[in-house]
Amino acid sequence: MAYSDKVVDHYNNPRNVGSMDKADPNVGTGMVGAPECGDVMKLQIKVNPATHIIEDAKFKTFGCGSAIASSSLATEWLKGKTVDEALDIKNTDIVNELALPPVKIHCSVLAEDAIKAAISDYKAKSTVETAVTA
Amino acid sequence: MQYFDVLGLAPRLALDLKDLEKRFYAKSRELHPDRFVRAPHAEQQRALELSALLNDAYRTLREPIARAEYVLKNSGFDIGEQRSKDVPPELLEEVFELNMALEEADQPQIEAAGVRFDKLRAEIDQELATRFGQWDQAAETGTLAQIRGLLNRRRYIENLLRDVNVHLSN
Repeated sequence: MAYSDKVVDHYNNPRNVGSMDKADPNVGTGMVGAPECGDVMKLQIKVNPATHIIEDAKFKTFGCGSAIASSSLATEWLKGKTVDEALDIKNTDIVNELALPPVKIHCSVLAEDAIKAAISDYKAKSTVETAVTA
Repeated sequence: MQYFDVLGLAPRLALDLKDLEKRFYAKSRELHPDRFVRAPHAEQQRALELSALLNDAYRTLREPIARAEYVLKNSGFDIGEQRSKDVPPELLEEVFELNMALEEADQPQIEAAGVRFDKLRAEIDQELATRFGQWDQAAETGTLAQIRGLLNRRRYIENLLRDVNVHLSN
């Protein structure tokens, strides 16, 4: 099975690898994994609390090329979107963009799970924050 | 469930391995081709098929993990589900940290993690044994769900220990 050019590109030059301060109230962290293959993916977003726009996104993934490419692409797509727009990113969009074969679809599912997890972490934090300041 | 049927057993998760082996040998003798040389062709065929099934059954049921996966699969659980459900966040966190350590080749941290995960696997095996007994007492789906969760965690740990050992042997 050959990886598509886009997967290879993201794998060789992953975008936005790194991490942000988990304790920052404007940072949402999503940590997901697939027990079957041992993959683990951390995806973080930094949100502007006034505009709800995702200003930065970082990831670090331990897993196969498709898992790395899926999360790399996800961070590219996240930047500039509002939190609600980001929730509309579907794993099928990732599958199409990267031309993932059926056996690698679970990698895109993982990336979608990571996005959702990061957003819900951010939302949980920001409601707490608002409650404290209110 | 076929594998249990062929060995004359009711579906059970906690099996006596000695008894299982005895049953396997007894059945194997019963189905030995020598006993069917004069039998009609259809009967010979049938014995051959049963013996193949018997071998698969024994191979699967004598391994507790494979046995549990077999029972789960035949109870409508999707084993191959590749999502993080059923994996506690603390474990993911720890898996992530260990992967970082492996990447940075942080020897002492890797060694410590190896010891910790070994212990964790032993704990999971112990809890699995308890749940096995529980399911055998009252075949409840909830127990199977817990078992699946434990198996997922175990697989993660198993994969990590493999990585750790590869790293330490280099």
